[in-house]
Amino acid sequence: MSQNLTMSPELGKEDWDPDVITRMIFIGPGAHVSEQEIVTEFHMLGLPLTIKNTCYGSMISGKSEDVYKAIEEIRKLDPNHIFTKERGFAPGDPRRCRGHRFGPREGFHQMEKEYRILGFVANALEERKDVEIEEKKPVSVDEFEKIMNECLDKEE
Amino acid sequence: MVKIAVYPPNSLILADLLERKGHTPLVLQKQIRQKIKDPEIDSPPMNITEDDPIQGLKYAAIEVPSGVRGRMAIIGPLIDEAEAAIVVDGAPYGFGCIGCARTNELSIFLLRNKGIPVLELDYPTNQDETYVMVNKINDFVDSLEETVKEEE
Repeated sequence: MSQNLTMSPELGKEDWDPDVITRMIFIGPGAHVSEQEIVTEFHMLGLPLTIKNTCYGSMISGKSEDVYKAIEEIRKLDPNHIFTKERGFAPGDPRRCRGHRFGPREGFHQMEKEYRILGFVANALEERKDVEIEEKKPVSVDEFEKIMNECLDKEE
Repeated sequence: MVKIAVYPPNSLILADLLERKGHTPLVLQKQIRQKIKDPEIDSPPMNITEDDPIQGLKYAAIEVPSGVRGRMAIIGPLIDEAEAAIVVDGAPYGFGCIGCARTNELSIFLLRNKGIPVLELDYPTNQDETYVMVNKINDFVDSLEETVKEEE
């Protein structure tokens, strides 16, 4: 696993530019667009961006002004199912990219957890619904005793 | 536009919901990017500098393990900058990016004690709970907007 820990990659000019940012674009469950459509749309915008097609959507990197402009445009395709998030590392950075190292990418597990409820969030964004949730309370001692005695009686 | 700290600080859902409303979520990735783009650090973010635990002293006492202080050097500036906060409680084990329960506790404690509006939510496990979470976040953000307008 030493490859994961001792990397000192040779970075390009863009990697050192503080104005260059990376965003991840997620397509939530039930979306009306596909990953490929999103990537094609990014290319059609004609902005100077690095675009990577991924399993969850895509990743874009470029000057912050261009990135935010692209995100604004891409959200219009399906506003409630397209989610975006910042990313620290650039696409394909050898310190994070799975193509160069072992194990799942850091941050993948968080993404996996959030993806499970992403569909629900999209539904909530589509239509506001006021729901009341019954608060779960522990079983009272008296009730527990009653159930326990019933079970013991049955056994006898 | 209000700067809102989110917890966990790398949350996709929280950050996205805030950006939709035109606010700035204070996310950890921005801090990490600063580290990555710092030419003085050889292999970030694993090789933090010896300055990081020292900077962490602003947030935690010297007796606190250096791991907590090192983490606080990255998360602390986000807490300082926050004008409001959204904290998700009761998340399953491993949720979030900090990898340190004590840092999580300290960060949430600092956010609560800062005297800023804090919205505390329970991690949703089903559709109804998610509806409640999204509604609460939207209402909270709207209330912040009203407060900002009143102040202006």
